[in-house]
Amino acid sequence: MPTLTLKFKKKTVEKYHLKKGEALTIGRMENNDVVIENLAVSGRHAKIDSVDDGFLLTDLKSKNGSFVNKQLVSSHWLKHGDAIDIGKHTLVFACEEGEPRPDDAPAVGMDQTMVMDTAKHREMMAKSPAKMEPQMPEKEEPIGVLSFLAGGEGEVELSKKLARIGKKPSSDIVVRGLMVGQTAATISKRPNGYYLSYVEGISKPKVNGETVKKSVMLKEFDVIEIGSVKMQFVYK
Amino acid sequence: MVIVESAGITDVGRKRKGNEDALLLDDDLRLYVVADGMGGHQAGEVASSLVVETIRDYMKRFKEDGDMEALADYHEIFSKEANRLLSCIHMANQSVHHASYSKEMYRGMGSTVSAVYFSHETLMAANVGDSPIYLVHDGSIDLLSVPHTVMAEQAALDPEGAKRLGGQFRHMLTRAMGIEETVEADICEIECFKGDILVISSDGLSDKVSPEEILGVVNKERPDRACRLLVDLANERGGDDNVTVIVLKIQKVRHEKGGIIGLISRIGQGLSNFPLKKNI
Repeated sequence: MPTLTLKFKKKTVEKYHLKKGEALTIGRMENNDVVIENLAVSGRHAKIDSVDDGFLLTDLKSKNGSFVNKQLVSSHWLKHGDAIDIGKHTLVFACEEGEPRPDDAPAVGMDQTMVMDTAKHREMMAKSPAKMEPQMPEKEEPIGVLSFLAGGEGEVELSKKLARIGKKPSSDIVVRGLMVGQTAATISKRPNGYYLSYVEGISKPKVNGETVKKSVMLKEFDVIEIGSVKMQFVYK
Repeated sequence: MVIVESAGITDVGRKRKGNEDALLLDDDLRLYVVADGMGGHQAGEVASSLVVETIRDYMKRFKEDGDMEALADYHEIFSKEANRLLSCIHMANQSVHHASYSKEMYRGMGSTVSAVYFSHETLMAANVGDSPIYLVHDGSIDLLSVPHTVMAEQAALDPEGAKRLGGQFRHMLTRAMGIEETVEADICEIECFKGDILVISSDGLSDKVSPEEILGVVNKERPDRACRLLVDLANERGGDDNVTVIVLKIQKVRHEKGGIIGLISRIGQGLSNFPLKKNI
């Protein structure tokens, strides 16, 4: 376990051992774990908490402040070699030879791809703040629906990844008209939403009155016209 | 018919000893795949090449044997071609899963997969894991793949909470090939247009080069040169991981015309086949 070495004017005064799961307090008063008898030090000056595999230094709103490597800190995750200045004393945080050093090598290499095991993932997702809200096990994706305004009745759910609209009888939405292509347009479901694309035929589809020459992303309440058919795109 | 100009490179990078990425460029099958393997003792390489080879072999069988659509898990919401691609991914998942139990040193190996497959008129993009598939259309770049990482999935539910997750979750996958008996791939099927560009890569590229930078390079350069430039850029910035990139440029899209328009255009084509001589 790491050690704290109390020094005064470069001379070692005392050595303390930090223990996992145990907090350590620093101050002028006798009931502290590390007692520094100096008027520059507050009664309860700072504390070091053991959190997971690391150690967190917190200044307890001391009068003269706590410094780590000459920087004023309110809280700081301790690393091997950190020098904590309190008044005129210094506490040096050091890890023992061969023990894992906090921050030095994270448990998982940053660039190492790995797969989370499912149980662990669920546990983490369950702990996350998002889960304060009612359970959202599988994110329920809104499904796009085309509801007929003219040329048909009712609505068509866009449950397929690729829906075809055109004259061909096998189309998901069959549209009549001389100028309408066999497959006049398709609607694809992409990760970020639904896209309408023009495919073939003289009569090109229109979205909100604008002719679509290639493809556009559909927004809710967009009005689509193909040949004699007019439909509105909504989410369900 | 979609005509595609394709190029792809895989590079070991600057820091790693071996290359755990695998890629497939098959203009004949019109199939393009990137797989990024993981697992020690060369197991990552075994996993990624097994993924790529299995998908290629099954796609080839589908092509040669025509309709062998006795697929156990045929889904109505996907087209026939999308079902084929998904079943190939399932087969590949199983072969990695089985192989991982065949040898002690393969235990726990896995891979990502990102595949693009062209049917007659559309393209399908399917993925498991975090290797991105980008679509460049009309000057903008969009992701067609769905990143299966803890970070991305958390961000979809709760963007603020995701920011609090540490960097170690950036590469933590929620799904991968070969880890479990079955795997669910994400897939989308879209119409493609002349001039559209697809980029499939491993995270060795996407960690170092932003989508906007990729857009800049592929818009200016031909696929083979674009691949080279992108790999060099990732290496210049550290090359911490293996880098793989495939660039596909849509040269032409020809729709099989039917109906009256098709008839007129077929007559038109027929006529142009006969040289018209004026003075006989």
